[in-house]
Amino acid sequence: MISLNQLTKRFGQQIAVEALTLEIPAGQIVGFLGPNGAGKSTTLKMLTGMIEPTGGSAKICGFDLKTQPVEVKRNVGFVPESGAVFESLSGLEYLEMIAALYGIPQDAARIRIRQFLTFFDLSFDTLTDKLLGAYSKGMRRKVVITAALLHNPKVVFFDEPLDGLDANAAVGFKALIQTLAREGKTIVYSSHILDVVERVCDRVIIIDKGKLLLDGKPDELVAQHNSGTLEHLFTQLTGGAELERRAEDFAKTFR
Amino acid sequence: MHAASAESPPVMNPAPPQARTLRKLFLTIYLRGRSSRGLKLKTAPKSVGRKLALALGAYTLFGLFTLQFVVNHQPLFALAIYAHSMTFIFLGMFVSSSAGEVLFNKDEADILMHRPITTKDLLWSKIRVMIQISLWLAGALNLIAFVVGVYTVDGTILFPFIHIISTVLEALFCTGCVVLTYQLCLRWFGRERLDSLMTMTQVVVAVAMVMAGQLLPRMMFQMSKSGLLQFNARHWWLGLLPPAWFAGLDDTVAAHVNAGSWFLAGIGLLATVLVVWLAFVKLAESYGAGLQSIGEMVSRPKTRSGSQRRWTEMMTAVPPVKWFSPISRAGFLLTTAYLFRDRDVKLRVFPGIAPMLIMPFIFVFQDTRVMEGFGVAFSSGFLAMVPLLTLDLLQYSQQWQASDIFRAAPMAGPAELCSGARRAVLWVLGVPSLILVGFIVWVVHHHVADLVLFLPGIMLMPVMSLVPAALGRGVPLSLPNEEIKSAGRAMKMMVVMFVAMGVSGAAAAAYKFGYFWWMILGETVILLPVYFGLVAFVSRRRWKPLE
Repeated sequence: MISLNQLTKRFGQQIAVEALTLEIPAGQIVGFLGPNGAGKSTTLKMLTGMIEPTGGSAKICGFDLKTQPVEVKRNVGFVPESGAVFESLSGLEYLEMIAALYGIPQDAARIRIRQFLTFFDLSFDTLTDKLLGAYSKGMRRKVVITAALLHNPKVVFFDEPLDGLDANAAVGFKALIQTLAREGKTIVYSSHILDVVERVCDRVIIIDKGKLLLDGKPDELVAQHNSGTLEHLFTQLTGGAELERRAEDFAKTFR
Repeated sequence: MHAASAESPPVMNPAPPQARTLRKLFLTIYLRGRSSRGLKLKTAPKSVGRKLALALGAYTLFGLFTLQFVVNHQPLFALAIYAHSMTFIFLGMFVSSSAGEVLFNKDEADILMHRPITTKDLLWSKIRVMIQISLWLAGALNLIAFVVGVYTVDGTILFPFIHIISTVLEALFCTGCVVLTYQLCLRWFGRERLDSLMTMTQVVVAVAMVMAGQLLPRMMFQMSKSGLLQFNARHWWLGLLPPAWFAGLDDTVAAHVNAGSWFLAGIGLLATVLVVWLAFVKLAESYGAGLQSIGEMVSRPKTRSGSQRRWTEMMTAVPPVKWFSPISRAGFLLTTAYLFRDRDVKLRVFPGIAPMLIMPFIFVFQDTRVMEGFGVAFSSGFLAMVPLLTLDLLQYSQQWQASDIFRAAPMAGPAELCSGARRAVLWVLGVPSLILVGFIVWVVHHHVADLVLFLPGIMLMPVMSLVPAALGRGVPLSLPNEEIKSAGRAMKMMVVMFVAMGVSGAAAAAYKFGYFWWMILGETVILLPVYFGLVAFVSRRRWKPLE
C-alpha cells in the first residue's frame, strides 16, 4: 500500500529525512515515532504531496508520488499537526468545501458529515451556527479529522491527532482507527503519546535525525531490547535517558 | 458517542466543479477575513460586507472629482488619464497588499496542499477572485466617470462602453503585473529568499503606489486661477505610464482617432496580453513550486543571522532603553522586532504611514517663494503624526492570540507595555524621520533658521503618540487583522491630517507675522498638562474584557 525507496529530503545543507526505505501493507496501523525534529512531519508532508522529496521515490496505492501526485492525494487522508482550518467558514461550510474538492455530491457529503457528528457527539447546530474560529481546540480537531476521512481514503496519515481531544473523544478515536484498519485502510500514526501507540499500533517505526532506527512490532521490539515499555525503549534509543536527572537539576534552580 | 440528531431535509445537489468550489472559498475568505475571532456565522459576513459596501460607496464619491473635467472644458483624454491613474493606484495598492496573503498563505498549505487539486486550478481560482474584487473597486471608482466622459468637450456616447473595456484590461494588467512580480522573484531568487522578497516587493509596490498617488496628479495637472485642474499633455513621459495607454484606448474609440492615441492603445493592448500570458500561463508552473516552498518553510527550522540578533539585543542594552522597567523594555523589544522582521506588520505599517512620510518631501520641495516656511512647518506637523498612525496599525497581527500572555502576566493594565511600544516607535521611526527631513530642509533651503518651524511638530509628537493608549488601542499585536478592514481608517487618516495641518498652519502663520515664540509658549502651556494628563490616564487604564 505504501512503498518508500531511499526517500530523502534536504533543506539546503541540512538533511531532514535520509534514505528512508519502508513497505507498509494494507490494513496495518503503523506508529511513526521520533523525537522533535526527527523528520516525522517532513516525511508525512512528502507522502501527502505537500513538499517534494529531494531524492528517492515513493508509491502509495500503486501511484507514484512524483508523477501521479493528484491520484496519490485522492487516495490519502491527512490530519496535520497544525490542525489548520479556514477560520472564517462555519464547520459545515468547511466540510462541504472539502467534500466538493474530492467530487463528493452535497447530499452524500451531508450524510457522511452527520455520521461523523454522531460519532464525535457534536450537534448539527454547532456545525452550522458558529465559524471555525470560535470552536474550541478539541472541536476544531474533530472537524479536521472528519475532513481527512470524508472521502473514504485508503491511506490515512495522522500527525498528533489526539492533540486537544478530551478523554472520551480520544478513546473513541482509538476505536475508530482500529475499525478503519480492520476494513483494510492503512493508518500511519505519528504521536508522542507512546502508551497509546503501544496499545493501538501493529507496528512501530522509530526515526531520529532523519534516519530509520527501529522497525517492528511493539511487543517484540520491547522484548528484544529488554525495555519493559515502548516509552523506555524510545528514551533509550533517542537519548532521553538523561531526562530524569535533568529534571532534578532543573527543579533545583527553583529551590 | 451519541445517536445522530434530527435529520436535515435531503439535498440533491451534485458536487460543484473543483474550480468553482475554490473560487467560492477564496471569495468567502476575502469577504469574511481569514480569522473570524469567535464570530458567529450570522454576524460575520454582514459586518465585513457592510464595511466593503461603505468602502465602495467612498470610492464612488471619490469619482465626483471627475465632474470638474466637464466644468473646466477639459478633453476626454484628460479625464480618461485621470480616471485610469486613480484606478491604477487604488487597484495596485489593493492587489499588492492582498496578493501575498492570497497567493502564498502558510496555513493554507496544511489545509489544501494534500487535496487532489492541481496548482493551475488553485492559481486560477485565486486570480479570478482578485480580478473580481478589483473590478468591483474599479467599477465603483469609475461609476461617475462613465457618465461624465460623455459630456467632456470631445466625448461621445461610446465612452462608457470603451471605458468599461479599458478598465477591465487595466484590472487584468494590474493584477498580472503583481502576480508576475511574485513569479519572477520565485524564479530568479529561489525559494529560500521568497518570503523576504515577497515582503520587500509588497512594501515597495505599495509605497510606490502611494507616492504615485501623491505625485502624479501634481505633475500631470496644474491648478488654474479659478482653482480647477488643467491637464498638461506636453510631458513626453506620459506615454510611458500604463494609465496613459488605457486612456489612449478610450480616446481612440470615444473621441479622436489619431496616431498618438492609436499608438498608446496599441501599447496598452500588447502589454496586457503579454503580462497576462506571462503571469497566468507561462509562469503558472512556478506557482506550484512556490506553494511547495511555503510547505517547506513550515517544516524547516527558521534561522536568523547573527547580525540581526545582535542588533535587537544592542537596542535594548543601551541607555536609556536599558533603564526602562522590564515590562516597558519587553514592549520596546517586541515592537522593534515586529517592525523590522514581521512580514505582515511591515506590509501594513510602512505603506500605511507612507503618505505621512512622503508629504513632507513634497512640501519641502515646493516653491519656497510661495510657501514662505509653510512647507517646513507642514512637514513637521505630518511627521508628528507618524508614531500615532504606526501605533494604531501595530495593534493588528496574525499572531494576536499570543497577546493573551500579556493578560496572564501580573500586570494590572497595559500602561507599561504601551509605553515600551510608544518609545520604540518614537525612537526608531519618529526621531529618525525628523532628523532626515530636517537635514533635507537644511540642504534645500540653506536656511538653518527655518528649522525652528520643526518645534511645534516635535512638541506635538510625544503627545499624539499617547492617543492610541489613551483610547485603549495601544497594546501591540493584540487584535486580529480582520478588524482593520474598515472604511473608518480613511476617516481617521483625514482627521489626523487636519490636526497636523491645523497646527502647522498656525505655526507657519505665527512665524510669518512675528508671533512664533508666543505660539510656542501657547503650545507648551496647552500640551504640557495634556501630556501629563494622558500619561496619568493611561497608567490608570485596566485590561479591557476579552470578549
